[in-house]
Amino acid sequence: MVTNLAWRLFKHEARRGELTIILFAIILSVAAVLSLSLFSERLQGALVERSSQFIAADSQLRAADPISTEWLTEANSMGIETAEQISTRSMAFGEQQMSLVDLRAVGQGYPLKGDIKVANEPFGTPSITQQRPSPGEIWIDSRLFQLLDVKLGSTVYVGDSEFTVARVLSEIPDQGFSVFNTDPMALIALEDMEKTNITGPGSRVVYKAYFAGDTSVIDSYYDWLRPQLDDELHRWQTVGDDESAIGRSIARAERYFLLASLLAIVLAAVAIAVAAQRYSQRHFDPVAIFKTLGASKQLIRRVYILQVMFITVLGIVIGIIAGVIIQQLVVTALAGQVDVSLDVWHWRPVFIAVLTGTICAVLFSLYPLLRLFSVPPLRVLRRDMGASMSSKGLQFGVSGGAIFLLMWVYSRNLEISAILFGSGVLLVGALVLVTLGLIAVGRKLGSGSMGSWQLAWARIRRRAMDNSVQLISFSITIMLLLVVLVMRNDMVAQWRAQLPENTPNYFLINITEQQKPALEQHFADNGVNIESFYPVIRGRFVAVNDERVNTEVTKEDDPEATEGRRGLGREANLTWSDVLQHENKVVQGSWHANWTPEGESPLYPVSVEQGVAERLKIALGDTLTFNVGSEIVVTKVTSIREVNWQTMQPNFFFVIHPAAMQEFSATYITSFHLDGDRKAEITSLMQPFASVTLFDVDARINQVREIIDQVSLAVEFILVLVLVAGSLVLFAQVQASMDERQQELAILRTLGAKGTLIRFSVINEFLIIGTVAGLMAAMANEFSLFMLQSRVFDMEASIHWEYWAIAPAVGALVVGVLGAVGCYRLLALNTGQLLRKMV
Amino acid sequence: MIETKNITKIVTTSEGSLQILQPISFQVKPGESIAIVGASGSGKSTLLSLLAGLDEVSAGEIFLDDAPLHTMDEEQRAQLRGAKVGFIFQSFMLVQSLTAIENVMLPAEIAGLPDPKKRAQDILEQVGLSHRAHHYPNQLSGGEQQRVAIARAFIGQPKILFADEPTGNLDAANSEKIEDLLFELNREVGTTLVLVTHDNTLATKCDRQLRMQAGELIEITSQSNVKPFLASAGEGSR
Repeated sequence: MVTNLAWRLFKHEARRGELTIILFAIILSVAAVLSLSLFSERLQGALVERSSQFIAADSQLRAADPISTEWLTEANSMGIETAEQISTRSMAFGEQQMSLVDLRAVGQGYPLKGDIKVANEPFGTPSITQQRPSPGEIWIDSRLFQLLDVKLGSTVYVGDSEFTVARVLSEIPDQGFSVFNTDPMALIALEDMEKTNITGPGSRVVYKAYFAGDTSVIDSYYDWLRPQLDDELHRWQTVGDDESAIGRSIARAERYFLLASLLAIVLAAVAIAVAAQRYSQRHFDPVAIFKTLGASKQLIRRVYILQVMFITVLGIVIGIIAGVIIQQLVVTALAGQVDVSLDVWHWRPVFIAVLTGTICAVLFSLYPLLRLFSVPPLRVLRRDMGASMSSKGLQFGVSGGAIFLLMWVYSRNLEISAILFGSGVLLVGALVLVTLGLIAVGRKLGSGSMGSWQLAWARIRRRAMDNSVQLISFSITIMLLLVVLVMRNDMVAQWRAQLPENTPNYFLINITEQQKPALEQHFADNGVNIESFYPVIRGRFVAVNDERVNTEVTKEDDPEATEGRRGLGREANLTWSDVLQHENKVVQGSWHANWTPEGESPLYPVSVEQGVAERLKIALGDTLTFNVGSEIVVTKVTSIREVNWQTMQPNFFFVIHPAAMQEFSATYITSFHLDGDRKAEITSLMQPFASVTLFDVDARINQVREIIDQVSLAVEFILVLVLVAGSLVLFAQVQASMDERQQELAILRTLGAKGTLIRFSVINEFLIIGTVAGLMAAMANEFSLFMLQSRVFDMEASIHWEYWAIAPAVGALVVGVLGAVGCYRLLALNTGQLLRKMV
Repeated sequence: MIETKNITKIVTTSEGSLQILQPISFQVKPGESIAIVGASGSGKSTLLSLLAGLDEVSAGEIFLDDAPLHTMDEEQRAQLRGAKVGFIFQSFMLVQSLTAIENVMLPAEIAGLPDPKKRAQDILEQVGLSHRAHHYPNQLSGGEQQRVAIARAFIGQPKILFADEPTGNLDAANSEKIEDLLFELNREVGTTLVLVTHDNTLATKCDRQLRMQAGELIEITSQSNVKPFLASAGEGSR
């Protein structure tokens, strides 16, 4: 009987549109959470896939010794794909010329992720190849064709072996990204390496093993492998460890998706809370009737709990369908720009969406239901009697607890959850105070003759508590939208700033003092603008405070440099300048621009990069000794710099005062930007300067830019989704509050108030609420953004004054318009219909 | 059927407690029809709510078909209402999201009576609304809604029927139809009828009238003779 009655009520109410708002709120929450998290999960998958190309695998093991075949066999037996590479620097000889090359011998399967690109001619357009060098073949960099004076088909000698030049090598996935990594690359087959006899003792050889497969399988493989690794010899690297600009951008984007989804959950929760309250109020009469007709408490409880269950199940089912459709539409729309695979299906978002729908529906309808159950039967006679149970503490406790629980379960990140929740609590506290203030102000303003403003104020004052709840929900909605919007703007702006238009995409090194003016002139004549020249000289880093430094050779600006935590390159590229470079910031001591030499052999000032200083435990005032050529240069650390490594410009670990380097003849390094369509001019540009080395980073920059563009676009779509969700929530809130206004409108209408007076009074009321909500939201937004940007997103936090004006204006506009629309619908009814609706 | 002994009602307001019903005692016999009359605010509806067990007395005793209402909790009173009491209200109080027939079925379903649908169809036929059985309340006129309410009140063949201004929202023609229907069914089922009304014509159709004024029962009038309340009220009354 109970199920029957509940089902009948549910069916009729659904048909009559009584359940629309609460059903819609549940659908919204499920659909938003599902589409957002499904999309972001797929996108993350795509981005991880993409960034895995930078290490040519999902994980990589680098070793100074040959990698045990047993380790690879174990990986294969676990279903992990493997590949190998051996690399070293060696001399390559043409018939007449020779050059140092970065020699890479690659085995079967390489690269596991990403592609090898080759060209038909030196400096030609790269295209992907599925092949790799056959034994006896060598594929060489465009530059090597010049340096060795060879053609396709020529013979090149490396160590004890000879090779045939078979292809022009443009790019391999994990070639690294270093301005100073100047040796041109040559690719041979793995099995040819041994024959060259160049990997003997004393040579610096890097052995790499590549692994690709399921993250969980690779993780368990690493668990097996780890105890066997020697920190001195081995280094394990996974996509997630990527500390590069791209890695950080992706990590930040992931956090943003998480944030956006969390906010979508909160928005949906607010919508359900509003809708549940309305649902409960609309059922006061039926409950009173049931009780009067003799229904027991248990029966009523069961009828309504069943109803909530029906609504929840229906909402979740429709929500999942809608979420999948929305997500599919977005992915289809983005298919051209973002590489998101549709084949992969993730269950976690579905699980989370169902859980969200259930928790929202159950916890947020708990309090309204408890109130509903407490409606006395006497209401049938005394229509003004509402629920006898009322506990705002319980309401806020349950709702707050539910929101926090959802955030935590979903994000598995206590910090983000706590920050957002904390801001919300602060906002609610502040709003209660503001509401009280408004009521006091309204008391003064609301008196006097009855215009639309007076009516509006009078209403706000009279419904102080209802309005405070409404104000809070409006403010939270606006705040959440602001957080998502501003966060996106700041994040995309910072990404774009990393790689502005005209970022240098070519570097020139080995420029002599004499070539400088001619090169500058030649480039200027061809309409190419050259950036600053930085002097570079190779020096050996010998001692810190007379203590000898025993380090291995690595070079700055080489991403691999960070691997050697034990020390820094024995050979370092030194520069000198008295001008602090762009994007460099002195964090300790002071910059040496005003230093003047004293005495015969003064200690020259040197500025050290922060990371190196930490690694080598160099402090201000320490004495650093370098061996440059045959001379010893003794310097004293006068400043420590923070360097933004994410900019595409030459950066240096050590910057010495120019006075120290007067005696030495340096070469120079510079960079310039050349549009893609002028790529063909490179050869003619470089022709007069055969000894100058050109380093082409265009492809890498484009790759980074593409990824950043994709991520930005995805972020934008998520922003749109959240904005839509937020607007719907606002609409639901206005609709819900319209019910409460109905009675008053009917009375005013009956008393003969003009439509315009009523309409403007309602619009004015919403304008006031919208403005206040917008202002409060702007304040709370600032607080949450500060916390989020400084603590979670690793960004520089800033104040967004413009939103202090925009938020109240937009709040007033949107809420006012929604109010007007809702009001229009009511005013379109005649007084009789209005009165009937009240019954 | 109904017996009250010195029942009072005190409500607490922000300005202290207020006695809205002075001690009242009377009896209603089975099958009798009683009209509670009086000006607005005289306490008629309060008295009705106490007699029907919708509210609790502050003091005194009420017996409804020998059941001591004053000692029962809300749950027990609901059970009693479900078993023995029917209601008709001025604002009809139909469940808006149920159709006419479903509204009529409701008390039978709650009481667990067999075949509620058949019963509802029969009684809707009796009130002349079988053709409107599947309409929602807002698709019915006021008179029709009240007929649905009457059908709902009689479906469980209650021993006692409480009616609060049953014709208050209706025009003269509809009022008369409703009144006729009410008394006809009342006779048929043998129900005890307690109604609150402003309408003198309706009141005079009842066996007795209880006149209320400022929370006091000031006189009881019988159809045949008017006798001073004090003479018949017995001890405990003023």
